[in-house]
Amino acid sequence: MKFRESLISANHNYLVNDMLSPGFVLGDPGPRDDFWFVADVVPPEERRGRIYGRLYDRRGDFILELKGNRTTENPGQTVLQSIQGGFRIHYPSGELLIKVHTRNFANGHLTFIHGKVYDKEGRLRMEPSYEGVKVHGKGQLALVGPYEFGESGH
Amino acid sequence: MQRDRDHKGIWIFGDYRNYFQNRVTLQLIAKGKDLAQKLETEVTVVLLGDQTHQYAMEYVAHGADVVMVVDHPTLKDYHIETYTRLVAKLLASWRPEIFIAGATAFGREFFPRLAKRLRTGLSADCVSLEIDAESGLLVQTTPAFGGDLLAEIVTPDHRPQMATVHPGVFDERPHKSSALGRIIYPEVEIETDQRVQLVRSRREQGRKVNLEDASTVLVGGRGLGSKERFQVLFDLADLLNGEVGATRPAILAGWSEDTRLLGQTGKSVKPKLLITAGTSGALQYTTGIQGAEAIIAINRDPHAPIFRIADLGLVGDAHAVLALLLEKLRKRL
Repeated sequence: MKFRESLISANHNYLVNDMLSPGFVLGDPGPRDDFWFVADVVPPEERRGRIYGRLYDRRGDFILELKGNRTTENPGQTVLQSIQGGFRIHYPSGELLIKVHTRNFANGHLTFIHGKVYDKEGRLRMEPSYEGVKVHGKGQLALVGPYEFGESGH
Repeated sequence: MQRDRDHKGIWIFGDYRNYFQNRVTLQLIAKGKDLAQKLETEVTVVLLGDQTHQYAMEYVAHGADVVMVVDHPTLKDYHIETYTRLVAKLLASWRPEIFIAGATAFGREFFPRLAKRLRTGLSADCVSLEIDAESGLLVQTTPAFGGDLLAEIVTPDHRPQMATVHPGVFDERPHKSSALGRIIYPEVEIETDQRVQLVRSRREQGRKVNLEDASTVLVGGRGLGSKERFQVLFDLADLLNGEVGATRPAILAGWSEDTRLLGQTGKSVKPKLLITAGTSGALQYTTGIQGAEAIIAINRDPHAPIFRIADLGLVGDAHAVLALLLEKLRKRL
């Protein structure tokens, strides 16, 4: 029988490709001028998803860099808005870029990511799928521990 | 006898309905881990339903190595034929050695049907599960012959070896937030056509009886004599912040509701103190109370079997003794 497999954390997971996962990476967070996305592993004492990434629009233009749920570079003039359990980011037009919110259970937490994310070539790398996201392209779908970013801070 | 090398793994059925009160799956995970260590294998919890993420995480937190999830809106409500066919397919593919479920209302209906479909053996309402050191078989201990003896049963030739176990027989492992496990999503077709149609489900109203968590339990049997005399247990329970349980004869006599039944076909309790009054000590009953830290038994018959397992025995009229205890406690508390 065919099956899909992932890892699952007792404390916190994301919903990616219709599977629970403690954390995942898209692209390569090393090079500065390229797409990458990290939904990082959340330690047992924390409750919220942690999002990092260098995001591009459908034309392949660099629009936003996120570090730990905060914008650090924002050439696309996107707007970050806090919501209950997370945040959402809009294009200047009002169109949703990405929404991240965490649902808390009695003993665990689940972060949902919604939105369409593109890379430097304008290729779709992440899109909504049922409750979570479906991801495309090179990546690592089940992190065992917090992602070790390089010296560049990415 | 040789272990069947074609079958591997210990599966637990994830009975998550009425979670957090219903903790039998967590208890079976803990026991499964003990068994798995002896067999050098893993514990997998099988989880069917809709929006089951929380439960998958809870099972990993309590020790499951693997959670196998079939998550689909059509599985939101329990349909025995759908569940039986689905789990039978999973078992045929993965071939676990052992499959255990809680002896809840759900498990008691589902597991026999599944065992029949698989043409394998099922021991119901087990009070103990162990691995035979020589054969590697699951030794399933269950009261037999009306509760007069405990039978140790093995399933030598068919797989999986199946058993249901009462809630409360085993202890669960503590919740561990740092736990990590594997999660498997089988790509399996869900057959929903069936002969029984669910029209409506409704949660039963009424005061919850929380015997399994009570630190003091007072149990009444037929020796109390009447429904009015049975009331003394409730009066004492109020004073002692305890819960009231009953034996089957007391329930059949209409003195108590069946949610208070203790024993082989009822609940198992592990209180710090258990006072059992007017109960003879039949095995079908005592299997449900053997986990108590201290047992005080009251019976007019000095030869009643209950005294064999009691830490303190009082020979006398059960109601008279309890009424006296109530009077004394009311003055002190």
